[in-house]
Amino acid sequence: MSRSHTPHDEKSPSGNTPDGDFPRTAETTAETTAEHAAGPLVGAGTLEAVDAAQAEDGHAELARSSKRMEIVCASIAVAFCTVLILAARAIEVRNETGGVDPRWWPEVLGTFGLVLAALLLVVAIVRPPFDRDDMEAATREGWVRLAAAVALAVAFIFLWPVVGFLFITPPFLVVATYVFGGRGTKTVLLFPALMTAFLYLLFDTLLKVPL
Amino acid sequence: MSAFAEGLSALLDPTVAICLVLGLAVGTLVGAFPGITGSMAVALASGFTLTLEPVQGLAVLLTIYVGANYGDRIPSILVNTPGTPAAIATTLDGYPMAKQGKAGLALVSSSMVTTGGILISIVLFLFAARPVAQLALKFGPAEMFALVVFGLTIMISISSKSVLKGILTGIAGLAIATIGRDPITGDSRFVYGINDLNSGLSFIAVIIGLFGIAELFDQLLTHQQSKIKPISALGRWWPTKAEYKEMGKPFAVSSVIGMIVGVVPAAGGDIAGLIGWDRAKRMSKHPEKFGKGSLEGLTAADTASSATLGGSLTTTMALGIPGDSVMAVMIGSMIIWGLQPGPSLFTRQPELVASIAGIMVIATVLSLGISLVRTRGMVRLLDLPNHYLWVGILIFCIIGTYTTSNNVYTVWVMLGSGVAGVIMKRTGFPPGPVVLGLLLGPLAEANLRRALLIDGPSILLTQPIAAGLLALAVFSLGAPLVGRARKARKDRGAGGGGSSDGGHAVADEALDEVAQRS
Repeated sequence: MSRSHTPHDEKSPSGNTPDGDFPRTAETTAETTAEHAAGPLVGAGTLEAVDAAQAEDGHAELARSSKRMEIVCASIAVAFCTVLILAARAIEVRNETGGVDPRWWPEVLGTFGLVLAALLLVVAIVRPPFDRDDMEAATREGWVRLAAAVALAVAFIFLWPVVGFLFITPPFLVVATYVFGGRGTKTVLLFPALMTAFLYLLFDTLLKVPL
Repeated sequence: MSAFAEGLSALLDPTVAICLVLGLAVGTLVGAFPGITGSMAVALASGFTLTLEPVQGLAVLLTIYVGANYGDRIPSILVNTPGTPAAIATTLDGYPMAKQGKAGLALVSSSMVTTGGILISIVLFLFAARPVAQLALKFGPAEMFALVVFGLTIMISISSKSVLKGILTGIAGLAIATIGRDPITGDSRFVYGINDLNSGLSFIAVIIGLFGIAELFDQLLTHQQSKIKPISALGRWWPTKAEYKEMGKPFAVSSVIGMIVGVVPAAGGDIAGLIGWDRAKRMSKHPEKFGKGSLEGLTAADTASSATLGGSLTTTMALGIPGDSVMAVMIGSMIIWGLQPGPSLFTRQPELVASIAGIMVIATVLSLGISLVRTRGMVRLLDLPNHYLWVGILIFCIIGTYTTSNNVYTVWVMLGSGVAGVIMKRTGFPPGPVVLGLLLGPLAEANLRRALLIDGPSILLTQPIAAGLLALAVFSLGAPLVGRARKARKDRGAGGGGSSDGGHAVADEALDEVAQRS
């Protein structure tokens, strides 16, 4: 089995990977998922068996750990909790009773969250970043596919009430099929047509959902 | 007529039969396609089962749950890729068996032990759920709050690498649950004049977003063309007498392991399968064969993984705390139908509990039948290009969410949750605690405030059950940290050489940790 780093290699005492970004490879999703799902729960021998069982398949690059990403995430968490506390204090209550009123629970959550988020920020700054060896790296094609999927979904949801289900769904499905890699007349035209008919029959005709 | 008979007779309705067949077909297909998990399928299906009667809807959702547990073994054995995370351990010996020309034997043996595992665990559900529910009926507000906190912390400790990130996502879920009306006074919170927010964020939309569309987005982001072709030479199908005998011991041991893991909130088949395989290897006379095509290994992995279903169902229905991620989605659907899983379900609707057990048994038997006849077709299905699947999931997420309210606003919530979900997934924030926090938030808040208003803060520490559950919650979060610190010290002591003392020392330590958590 040839690999630049196994998920068990180069762990820092914290359980995090050493500083800096470096590429990692794994054989399949199964291996990485196994470690994430049960890493702390079963023996290293079992995880090595998962490694070995997957060893003959194609390689997929794993996601890199990133200190910057950890800091940004922790900062967003701090901001979210601060906003939560402020928004909770601004809740208008019909009968002011003080103490355990409707503001109390969101404020408790916000305060507790803020303490933990600040701790996460400190950890993100002073400790090595968490490894991400339980997920595959994003690809350039993947970013294009994802951006296209979100844009298509937004366009569909926006235009659906304006144009109507039967008019917007076929072009949406044609473009989506093409963007996701479908080629050929049957795939790009016939599949969307059949899918639209199936959805309409299932939801509008059978389940009586007005589409 | 007794409640049990009444519950079973509800299954004689022909529409329930149609729902069972539909759920079975969907569940088997879902399991067979790597990348679609049971939670994702149940979340998607929940969108259009909300218009059905509860028994019909449960027939669809529970059958998908069971069917996925059979279907996911097929790609594990034939292409070395688990159909769902629950089948990870199946790959260890299933694929080597297939490479040795024993794919047929692996598939049939897997189906048989899966059936056995599920049926035994349903017996646990039938016998254990009622006593657990009766005990839980005595819970006051303090105990109920402590129970929710316990469930949430277990899910956090299991689903996240970083305890801090896990707790923060749990808090996010609890915070989102505060949108809408206050559960005690009815005051509006975080509504900002938007009428749709008065009843809070639709949790089905959030669930479909986090478990359905976020998974799709992640696949779109990371997918690379696989060059692996499914093994098509299946060989003989049925085990010999000696092979049946060989399967006996790992089956018995793994059934128990699966049921115990299943009862632990949020722990599912993925964890149970690996623990079952690990234990069977230690007890086997031929541990050297494990990982190289051992029938014992395959039996242990699949039995343990499938035996979690009954345990998980017990925790969900008796306590109202989801036994695994599929059950978290299921609770969401049940709440929409006006059913609150938990101890009161057994007193208010005992017939429904019998219906649930009946559906599980029928679904298991049907799944076994189908899994014994449809495998050849599945081999061809594994070659289906991804674009059909992706387009199907995308449009079903959108339409399925719309059907829950006939309001496009809900679809926007789903899409927003999906985008948030994929960002969370990529940055190591687990989505499970968000969903659990969202589902159980009102229960936690209302019970905590009642407990504080009636008895004051001391009640949380003076009531033995509440104090015990809170102590367990703290322990479940602290144990992984302590375990990691101890392992780090050990690694440093061994000169940073990792597992130089052999895998078993580390395995012992890790399994001790499981025992402590359980």
